[in-house]
Amino acid sequence: MKRKKITRIASIVVLAGLLVGGGVGLYMFNMPHRDVQSAKVNYVLTSSEIVSEYLTDKVAANKKYLASDGDSKILEITGIAANISENFKGEIVILLKGPDDKAGVNATFTIESNAGTSKIVVGKTATVKGVIRSGAAYDEDLELYENVILEKSSIVNN
Amino acid sequence: MKKLALLLSSAALLLSMAAFSQTADKYISSKTHIKFFSTTPVEDIEANNYASVSTINPKTGDVVFSVPMQSFEFEKAMMQKHFNNEHFLVTNIYPKSKLKGKITNLDEIDFSKDGKYPANFEGEITIKDKTSPIKETGIITVDGSLLNLDATFNLTLADFGIMFDEGEMVSTKIAKSVKITVKSEYKLQ
Repeated sequence: MKRKKITRIASIVVLAGLLVGGGVGLYMFNMPHRDVQSAKVNYVLTSSEIVSEYLTDKVAANKKYLASDGDSKILEITGIAANISENFKGEIVILLKGPDDKAGVNATFTIESNAGTSKIVVGKTATVKGVIRSGAAYDEDLELYENVILEKSSIVNN
Repeated sequence: MKKLALLLSSAALLLSMAAFSQTADKYISSKTHIKFFSTTPVEDIEANNYASVSTINPKTGDVVFSVPMQSFEFEKAMMQKHFNNEHFLVTNIYPKSKLKGKITNLDEIDFSKDGKYPANFEGEITIKDKTSPIKETGIITVDGSLLNLDATFNLTLADFGIMFDEGEMVSTKIAKSVKITVKSEYKLQ
């Protein structure tokens, strides 16, 4: 009688464990991507500030802004719109760059946030929010300064 | 004295022309698409990157790609986290990968004439801190001052020190060799 009870309790515990474990596993497997546009901003900077931070000490800047799981810092960047283009996915890309800076911030929008860029004018100041993917640096093979890359961007209305 | 001034000014002119031509005749692309595709009986995994920068020098045949690794986007967030993390590509320490090398059949490509040209490429790829040689063929399409590059090749992950322990969940899901598809549009600058 006692053994039966123990077996019953044990099987309930194991079943509950399996259900919880399976549920957590399933949740992890199908976990949604972070919603950058509704997430909290980590740093507010100008395009010139972040470019100079990267050109001064790339290692320190990577440590500050890049996360090991790829969910890196969310930045709000203000700068002068120097160029507007579109990538192969159909997303708008706006380069924010100071007139005397060697590099800028290339902000890629999303299909959903593209519409917000319609008011952006080349030569005028704009503020965007997005996740940083990589920093600015001089690349001796490209023989070019590479821009900071910001993705999942949206326009910040001041 | 006049002769010297003339000599100096013509030397300066030549030098500035040389400097100008060095920067003026290179194809630069920031409109790129790099696709990573892995297939196993368990799962197909695809990731897309639209943020790489590339250059092609039509005089020397030099080709360079700089690839921001955190820009690879996967359908599943967990896969993306695995791809970036300290056991896989450590992208917070090595945020960029690099492909560089030369077109070896440069004499068969006429950059001044519209058309499609097969391009043989030999070079190396650096991912994380490992460099591995690569020899592949792509197609270059010349369209006025625009240039398009299309290429597909396979990468063996073990060449870059990316190994999976047996039993690790991702080991059954990611193939030992992955297919990379590259597409880029260049402007002469």
